[in-house]
Amino acid sequence: MKEKIMAILEDICGAEPGELEADTELFEEGILDSFGVISLFVEVEKQLGVKLEPTELERSQLATPAMIIAEVEKRA
Amino acid sequence: MFLLEGIKKYAKTDRTALINRGERLSFAELDALSDAFAAWLLDRFGDDRTPVVIYGHKETLMLPCIYGALKSGRAYVPVDTTVPPDRARQIAEDVRAKAAVDFYDTGMVADELLNADKLREVLEKYRGREVSSENWAKGSDFAYILFTSGSTGKPKGVPIAVENVENLEREFGRFVDESGEEKVILNQISYSFDVSVVSVWLGMSRGMTLYTIDHEMVENLGELFENLEKSGVSVWVSTPSFAEMCTPSEKFDASLMPKLEKFIFCGEVLTHKLVDRLFESFPQSKVINTYGPTEATVLVTASEITAEMAADELQIPIGEPLGEVRFRIVDEEGKEVPEGEQGELLILSKSVGPGYFGRPDLTAKSFFFDDATGRRGYRTGDAAFRHGNLYYYCGRLDNQIKLNGFRVEIEDVENNLVKVENISRAAVLPVYDGEKVQSLAAFVLLEKPDGLTNLKRSIKIKEALREVLPSYMVPRKITAVESFPLNTNGKVDRKKLKELL
Repeated sequence: MKEKIMAILEDICGAEPGELEADTELFEEGILDSFGVISLFVEVEKQLGVKLEPTELERSQLATPAMIIAEVEKRA
Repeated sequence: MFLLEGIKKYAKTDRTALINRGERLSFAELDALSDAFAAWLLDRFGDDRTPVVIYGHKETLMLPCIYGALKSGRAYVPVDTTVPPDRARQIAEDVRAKAAVDFYDTGMVADELLNADKLREVLEKYRGREVSSENWAKGSDFAYILFTSGSTGKPKGVPIAVENVENLEREFGRFVDESGEEKVILNQISYSFDVSVVSVWLGMSRGMTLYTIDHEMVENLGELFENLEKSGVSVWVSTPSFAEMCTPSEKFDASLMPKLEKFIFCGEVLTHKLVDRLFESFPQSKVINTYGPTEATVLVTASEITAEMAADELQIPIGEPLGEVRFRIVDEEGKEVPEGEQGELLILSKSVGPGYFGRPDLTAKSFFFDDATGRRGYRTGDAAFRHGNLYYYCGRLDNQIKLNGFRVEIEDVENNLVKVENISRAAVLPVYDGEKVQSLAAFVLLEKPDGLTNLKRSIKIKEALREVLPSYMVPRKITAVESFPLNTNGKVDRKKLKELL
């Protein structure tokens, strides 16, 4: 699950494999934007079958890859 | 002029013109504030009707400035905060702005520069001053000038005359609302993007209430949905992308917006996927698709999407030309092609604007007078075909793309990329998801190795780009390559690059 989420994020953010770290600040660094977040929700559902409700997740809950993984795992 | 007459008419009622984050502006207040702003402009600049530049986003006082400029006979030049200060200053220089309002103190230069505080002082000082309708912008006077992406890397100004917008009202107004009742229309689109004219002109002139959705709400879907629920919106106006942003949520359905009568879409391809989702979740709401370039005043087609169109294997049509609008689809020699065949779409209409601001060379290339129909014509650069009365869009004939509804010249991004330190060459490619551009990807050639990882480097490059380009034009992926694949003409081989994506 972790690897898959990292791979989705790398693809959306345009990072090479292994380049994103668990605590990379995605919004602060300007790597992820509003449309990127929506792509993330769509891909997580498509590839992992986990539905994230976008209206219930704020940016502060999705600030780093580790936090995103935690939110997905909670709902898996 | 219908818009200002509409505001005057509803100023005598108790209708609400604007709801912006809990703040309400009545028509009476809007009328008074815009009169005050117009009185100041007339006092300060008299007969000099140079356009007024307004830099901001969805601040409540943006609208009094826009209508005030028009009441004083001046065009407004709205520049949204997605445009970085440097580019905004360039725009103010291009129109040789004498008066400018800058809600963000970005260092714009004009003879009279008002920030938010100074604007409030002016409005207070001139409160109660009425401006006679003799001063209003009319006929062939410019109503607004919008700056869009230009292929040289500098923004290009598109002025639209009052009579062009009057034609839009005549032909399209009934699609917005015919009841005359007090209804709510969405005010989500940046004023610097011409689709905002549907709310700011057609909605306002009908006494509708504009409900503001700003950038901050869009970044936080929880807050956005709270606002959609509170809005009581009847008429939704947006790009398909904005609606697509909402669709991953299960809450996006008729119970969220029970009064919603219609979605009006403009600005980019409307996909089957979105239509299906809306038909399912909003069975009581119509979906209206429209099409038009900024040069021909917002939109020149409109059609309600039927179940039949949704079930059709063909893409969703851009609709039928409105009333007086005539279309012609031509081949490379300018000869009309038979039905069903693709060619360049030419628009012949009273909505076709005067041309490009201060660029007679560009105007001569794209605008013309059509003797056969007695109308002004515009070569869209869009490929299209006709099937019966309906027209279908097939993409661009040049390197312009639509990204989330924004018009982007690929060369504009490339020309700005090579100005970034240590980049000697750049190529930008659109990344498609089905029929729609989903994001931009850039390939760059470095002057010398920088020892950075790709991610670190792209963070740096994006930062530099945000200084000079609107945020939506900054590519999502930036990859450094050792060399560019070249085709036989010695040009960058975009097909080969595409394979690297």
